Amino acid sequence: MKKILSIGLVRGLVFQMIGTLIGALLVTAVRAAMGLSAFSARTFGFTEPAWVFGGFVGVLAFVYGTRVLDDWIAWARGEDTPEHREDEPGWRKYFSPSLDHKVIGIQYTVTSLLLLSVGGLFALIFRTELAASGLQFLSLKMYNTLMSLHGIIMIVSILLGIAGVMNYLVPLMIGAPDMAFPRLNAFSFWVAPPAAVLLLSSLALGGFDTGWTGYPPLSARAPLGMQMFFLGVWVAGWSSILGALNLIATVLRMRAKGMTAFRMPIFVWAAVATSLIALTATQLIGLSFQLVMFQRLFGMGFFDPAKGGNPILFQHLFWFYSHPAVYVFVLPGLGLISELLPVFVRKPLFGYRWVAMSSLGIALVGFLVWAHHMFTSGMNEYLRVPFMYSTLLVAVPTGVKFFSWVATLWEGKIELPTPMLFTLGAIVAFLMGGLSGPPNAIVATDLHLHDTYFIVGHFHDTMFGGYIFPFFAAIYYWFPKATGRRLNEKLGKWHFWLMTPSFLVLTMGMMRIGLLGMRRRIADYDPALGFDLTHTVLTVAAFLIAISVLIFFYNIYITLRKGEVVTGNVWNSRSPEWQVPSPMPAHNYDRPIEVVGEPYDYSLPDAPYVRFAE
Amino acid sequence: MEHKDKQHAFQLGVSIFIVLAFLTAPEFLLAVNFPSVPLLVLIALAKAALIGYYYMHIYRLKQAEEGEDRASYAYKTGTARLGLWLFLLSDSFVFGGLLVTRFSLLAMNRPELNQALGLAVTSVLLISSFFMNRAETAMQHGDRKNFLSGTLVTIVLGVAFLLGVVGVEWRTAPFGPGDGAQGAVFYMMTGMHAFHVLTGVLFLLVIFRNGLRNRYTVEKHWAVEAAAVYWHFVDVVWVFFYPALYLIGSVL
Repeated sequence: MKKILSIGLVRGLVFQMIGTLIGALLVTAVRAAMGLSAFSARTFGFTEPAWVFGGFVGVLAFVYGTRVLDDWIAWARGEDTPEHREDEPGWRKYFSPSLDHKVIGIQYTVTSLLLLSVGGLFALIFRTELAASGLQFLSLKMYNTLMSLHGIIMIVSILLGIAGVMNYLVPLMIGAPDMAFPRLNAFSFWVAPPAAVLLLSSLALGGFDTGWTGYPPLSARAPLGMQMFFLGVWVAGWSSILGALNLIATVLRMRAKGMTAFRMPIFVWAAVATSLIALTATQLIGLSFQLVMFQRLFGMGFFDPAKGGNPILFQHLFWFYSHPAVYVFVLPGLGLISELLPVFVRKPLFGYRWVAMSSLGIALVGFLVWAHHMFTSGMNEYLRVPFMYSTLLVAVPTGVKFFSWVATLWEGKIELPTPMLFTLGAIVAFLMGGLSGPPNAIVATDLHLHDTYFIVGHFHDTMFGGYIFPFFAAIYYWFPKATGRRLNEKLGKWHFWLMTPSFLVLTMGMMRIGLLGMRRRIADYDPALGFDLTHTVLTVAAFLIAISVLIFFYNIYITLRKGEVVTGNVWNSRSPEWQVPSPMPAHNYDRPIEVVGEPYDYSLPDAPYVRFAE
Repeated sequence: MEHKDKQHAFQLGVSIFIVLAFLTAPEFLLAVNFPSVPLLVLIALAKAALIGYYYMHIYRLKQAEEGEDRASYAYKTGTARLGLWLFLLSDSFVFGGLLVTRFSLLAMNRPELNQALGLAVTSVLLISSFFMNRAETAMQHGDRKNFLSGTLVTIVLGVAFLLGVVGVEWRTAPFGPGDGAQGAVFYMMTGMHAFHVLTGVLFLLVIFRNGLRNRYTVEKHWAVEAAAVYWHFVDVVWVFFYPALYLIGSVL
């Protein structure tokens, strides 16, 4: 028992349960003393305020229980703590707070894969329900809850996934011993698991039926699960904000000697661009959700027209984050494409500076386009055209990236191991997503396409191309760096060749029925529309994707047990992290690195990128 | 500007405070007699700029520690300073969002509030910033006595501000949080700001206690600087919230 409790994750979960209970009991006692109704039979005894406050206290208790705050508490008491803390060897370090950015990166990545599976499972359940018209086995309420949770769990999973990749790679790429603030880094990760618990707890607390957007007025009267959703996203937002803060500080302050801005690996540029959005805009989704929470708890009329509030205001606040958020999701992925292509083409990245600037460009333009989600919402009509043009402007920096990728591939010596396959898959998938974007941006066509499966297809294209494919590419590519073993190529190719066609069928099928008028977010459809066959095909495609991901998990399992051991520069890369043996030692580079050349001069074998100090 | 001489540094703090006070008085009188939104915004921006430059020392972000030993306290403080300012940038989006909410829902109306109390709490917070600056300046010159007294006065004034807003204004306002958009906006804005003041007071209590136990030196007192910058930031937020809630527009 004592041994189990020495694991940070277990202790955190126990503390979270106790904390939730204490918080809820506290509110119940206060309500009873004030003469308000203190119990609710429908939600396991506690009232809504009790659950919300309890959930919040539970998160604090979780973080405290993992002991990730211990150093800060010691500092506040005026005590000094050691600069480094050595992790225990073996797998146990991954379940407790660690200050090593590589351990935290893997913690993020594994949590992300776990949530990806949960979100994918939810999708499979309601996708099966949609395979034929009529309701088969899900209630309407359950369908709505699963559909909404699929959205938000996937989003949190993506945020954790990019945080994992950035955490692992950026300090290695810029030659830093760790992130700028290792304790903050650990904290950023350890607020994410309780947030995931909160999100999943909404299943038990009545669910919610608003989709992941949580628009009032529906979200102001949805069941209690809505509040758990709001609170969970709010907490996950802090993980994202603080992680972004840490990353920007790391890149600005921790670069190796000679690593000027335009000699950084291109992924670092993408990571900075994405962090700039996450650092600032995330506050507004937190605020908008907090306002709805308070509207429900204290009757504050922000979005209640009867009290002089305005529901459209919510959409403005919400999309001010949630549109740039999709660039948070895809920019690191697009950076990974630019990072991996030169390695497998053996050519310099075409137009390095343009690609670096295009990441920042997408991030900046991303702040000016939010209202294109609201063309049909009843906002002021004069806002439509400026937002249409600003949205179309996004295609310019994105086009720069495509141009660079094509020009990099041009006449290269293309090798096709699994990471390169996923990189090429990402380009194809993102091209599909990119081309299906402008029809949604143009007001005239969006009025027809809004809230149809066309949007769903477009969105899944961009998420697969911008995140899923590059994320898998990154895992196949850097797995040897992290573990010293190389993932099985044969299984990797099965994974790719099963996933890619199924994915293309899935999203193109979605777009087809969307154009024909299939509404999104509905549990049932009229058989007379003739969508039954397409929906069956889409469901089969979804299951094939699931099988391919299972192959991937099996690949990880089998490789960790008896995969090919590789310690050298597997991909013949110029990047600094591959110049030292795998797996990476605990404090990164024993000898500090110094940048002496350009990062992508693959055509010049005698001109190294980095050199190790004597 | 950084002053080597302690006496000059103290005097600079006083002069900046006098300018801030002189900007606040016309702000109030102006709104009563001649409500001009652009002028109020300009005054708020001027106050924020003065506090940001002279009290929060934003220019220190540019001080290059390049070439210095990365493991040195000075370099690490530079990194921590950048981190703190990034946090403030992020946090200001919350307050910006609240201002957007206020102007979107209430437009050129404002809630019916106690003007005398509003001016009083604003002055209290401004004076607290002066003492905070005095405490930090004292620490920079190794003057522990003035550091402790300045911090203590700041804490007392911070608590007084909280009592004025949450204890008095919240109780005497003629509307509750559930009463229309003005109730929602007023309680949310003051509540969010009061929460930040509360965390600032807790932070100050921590540095006060550690100061009593002589934990800070002229070279190593990043915690003091961080507490001061955070405290001034909370003041800057109020520089914008005060006109937004008390001065701009006509009473509902």
